[in-house]
Amino acid sequence: MKIAVCIKRVPDMGARFKIGADGASIDETGLKFDMSDFDEWAVEAALQLAEKHAGSTVTVISLGPDSVQETLRKALAMGADAAVQLKAESVPAGGFAVAQALAAELKDGGYDLILFGRLAVDSAAGITGPMVAELLGLPCATALCKLDVQGTSATGERQIEGGVEQLAFPLPAVCTIDQGLVVQARYPSLKGIMAAKKKPLASKPAALGGVGVTITKMELPAERAAGRIVGEGADAVPELVRLLQTEAKVL
Amino acid sequence: MDDGDRPVVVSTGIAMTGQNVAFLLVLVVAVSFFSYSIQRALRTLRVGLPEQRLDAPGRRTWNLLTIGFAQSKILRERGAGVSHAAVFWGFLVLTAGTAEILLQGVWPGFGYEHLLPRPLWQLFMLSQEVFAVIVLAAVSWLLWRRLVAPPKRLQGEEIHSTEAVIILGVIAALMVTLFTTGAFEYVAREGVRATHFGWFRPIATALGGAFGALSLGTAETLRDVSWWAHALLVLGFLNFLPYGKHFHVVNSLINVWFSNTSGPGTVGAMKPMDLEAEVESFGASDVEQLTWKNLLDGYACTECGRCTAACPANITGKVLSPRKIVTDTRDRLREKAPYVVGELDVEGSAEAMRLAPGAQAVLDNRLLDNWITEAELWACTSCRACVQECPVSIDQLEIINELRRALVLNESRFPEEVLPTFESLERNGSPWAFSPADRAQWAEGLDIPTMAEKLERGERPEILFWVGCMGSFDDRAKKITVAFARILQAANVDFAILGQEETCHGDPARRLGNEYLYQVLAKGTIETLDRYEVKTIVTFCPHCFHQMGNEFPQLGGNYEVIHHSTYIERLLEANLVPLQTEHGKRLTMAYHDSCYLGRYNDVYDAPRETLRRALPVVNLVEPARTKSRGLCCGAGGGRMFIDEKEGKRINIERTEELVATGAETIAVACPFCMTMMVDGVAKLEADVNVLDISEVVAAQLDPAHERAPLVAGD
Repeated sequence: MKIAVCIKRVPDMGARFKIGADGASIDETGLKFDMSDFDEWAVEAALQLAEKHAGSTVTVISLGPDSVQETLRKALAMGADAAVQLKAESVPAGGFAVAQALAAELKDGGYDLILFGRLAVDSAAGITGPMVAELLGLPCATALCKLDVQGTSATGERQIEGGVEQLAFPLPAVCTIDQGLVVQARYPSLKGIMAAKKKPLASKPAALGGVGVTITKMELPAERAAGRIVGEGADAVPELVRLLQTEAKVL
Repeated sequence: MDDGDRPVVVSTGIAMTGQNVAFLLVLVVAVSFFSYSIQRALRTLRVGLPEQRLDAPGRRTWNLLTIGFAQSKILRERGAGVSHAAVFWGFLVLTAGTAEILLQGVWPGFGYEHLLPRPLWQLFMLSQEVFAVIVLAAVSWLLWRRLVAPPKRLQGEEIHSTEAVIILGVIAALMVTLFTTGAFEYVAREGVRATHFGWFRPIATALGGAFGALSLGTAETLRDVSWWAHALLVLGFLNFLPYGKHFHVVNSLINVWFSNTSGPGTVGAMKPMDLEAEVESFGASDVEQLTWKNLLDGYACTECGRCTAACPANITGKVLSPRKIVTDTRDRLREKAPYVVGELDVEGSAEAMRLAPGAQAVLDNRLLDNWITEAELWACTSCRACVQECPVSIDQLEIINELRRALVLNESRFPEEVLPTFESLERNGSPWAFSPADRAQWAEGLDIPTMAEKLERGERPEILFWVGCMGSFDDRAKKITVAFARILQAANVDFAILGQEETCHGDPARRLGNEYLYQVLAKGTIETLDRYEVKTIVTFCPHCFHQMGNEFPQLGGNYEVIHHSTYIERLLEANLVPLQTEHGKRLTMAYHDSCYLGRYNDVYDAPRETLRRALPVVNLVEPARTKSRGLCCGAGGGRMFIDEKEGKRINIERTEELVATGAETIAVACPFCMTMMVDGVAKLEADVNVLDISEVVAAQLDPAHERAPLVAGD
């Protein structure tokens, strides 16, 4: 089985973000980057499937500047067999441009299964996977929390409000992976890191499609006001209740 | 070992009797077999990796003299220690006599009385009897203790107690036959009684007197029986040694000489590791990946259990026993060696053995998992108490560290709580997910310059105050940071911090087996330090202190690193810190030793001296386990980041001990110990303060002399 996983390099979301000078991007100085969490789970899912189905290969693909090679190496260190960088100066905000580049790469790859994270944790759009499926004319199963392959078809499960949806679809197909499909992505061992240095990493220009959507402005959320101590003991209760009703409007 | 077999004939001719010929045969067989056994055992050490241990012969010989011959470590325990030293020293003295007895067995005319002046010979004879009595008394007590009242450390699964009892019995029998041989000789050989007996052989003389009623012939026969019993016991004992735990007798002194646990080299530094090396696996998962010295440790161990009795994990009910780590390594070596290096003198025997039935099971096994489990390895706090206690300088911790490396680097196996630690170290440069941008938040408004700011002004500060991740992010530890900074300011020390440019140096990753992540972080830190041409670093975290001072040189980072306890003590000694003269009430304080400050770096007095100088009225009390015997707080070796689910919590055990001293304040000199003690005190609901030594000093700063740095918005 040939599996492709499309991964995105994103900033560590725990960081304190600053808006860049253009007002429409984040200031990247001091930020640490890593693979998007959902993409990590997708890589893990692919590796587990490959372990289950002998003779499988896992190829990871990422679009962006040369820094994405670091993210690709991490996936190789985890156990992926090959990596492809679709080189672009930056990652366009419009998912369609990215989807077109990915589809161009994936089209003739002969992949049985193309995996994405359910969404990238920085842009949180979650549309690239489905758009690639549309461009390639493949079935698309999104937000899977379970995925099994049987020969030329697959079954999956997705959590919906108050229940579980069971899916069946033929391969090749595009799937996006939700939290819960794997317990945890594996931590690359030093052995894996050393082996990754010798695995193939191809770099080719990204055939980006036309950019339809651009970001015009970014704003940080308003700072939260400092907490206030109303008073101590039972005497403070009436004032607290009054404030909760009139100011916070939660009662 | 005997003097009693001294022949009557004073001639020096070699007139061998039938008995002499028989003994010569016995002796040749015994010595040959012993030599074979030793070669066979030493051959198994070839299983291990090579390691150079011939450096610093002077230092090694010093270790041999102090730890080996003077028994400095074994004497740390009074009862058993004194008894062991008595047996050991007794054997050293008695061995001279044993050489004589074995020679006399084949050459009846031989005797020291022909070589030594009479007074010296008499002294020698006296020494033999005196030490034989001492040894007999000591082994009797040791036997009683083994059989009647064994201490906890002599109980447990991995101990060969029967063997110990047999050995003690043999030693006792050796001493008894020594006396009886002399006594029967006294009766049998009237002719030499006047010259060969007397005050210098009190026991043989007195015992001989008591046997006076025996006929000469009977006495002569009994003397021969007794002599043969003694000689055969000596040779039998010798030949048994290489096959049991008492191989210890042969290997301990050698092991002490080759050991690095008390130097030469930096004590407590983890082994350097070349990550670019073309190896199939990293660390050690079986005996072949340990060095010959790690393997020799197993042969030096006699299972005394001093390591396990001192182990904080073991004391509080975890599965880890450092003794088991060593005996498992030894037993696995004995199991596997024939398949790797083959039998002595049998060409191709290893290959043949590997094809034999049952071989696959042995080869499929390995030290990691099949002998030593993951749970044992992760229970270790790397406190070095085991290494400190071992009387024969075994390095239990190095084996644990190598096995941890194999787990993490080859197999990515570690407790699940550790994953966020590794990820934070990678992403945020600290073991916790705090934003690197907040690293120097504690310094806001305190007028503390960064190295970058100093450099901009063209200044190069004398010292770098390395704050550390605890000091930067942990709310309690941040108070230590501020206290220490205030002391530096009050003493007008020219210092700076790295601010946001500081990141973890990777020590937690290294202790947790993740050498790769450690080297990435350490190299990054060294780059930053070298960029500012840092020479002297002061830090209040003993882990940073040890890592940067003792382990950075492995990666090319050479700095003078001083722990704040030493630094403050120096400032106080030089009268550079303006202190109040009003000391308030007399405070009872107990200082808790940090492992990485004490056992790793031998700093015991500086923190105590700092407390005394800052608070001359302090009543400093010591817990039961203190200084080099101090009990770990439970946070070392990466245990800070692993949940403690099994047994009693180590910090509770330690806090109870400290609270029991009656101290109103527990003083610490490590932010990790601080966390553990604060937690312990809270859990015990004890009315005790926990303070860092710098907080004690800062509280005594004279407000009149202190600069006014606490103005916000400088």
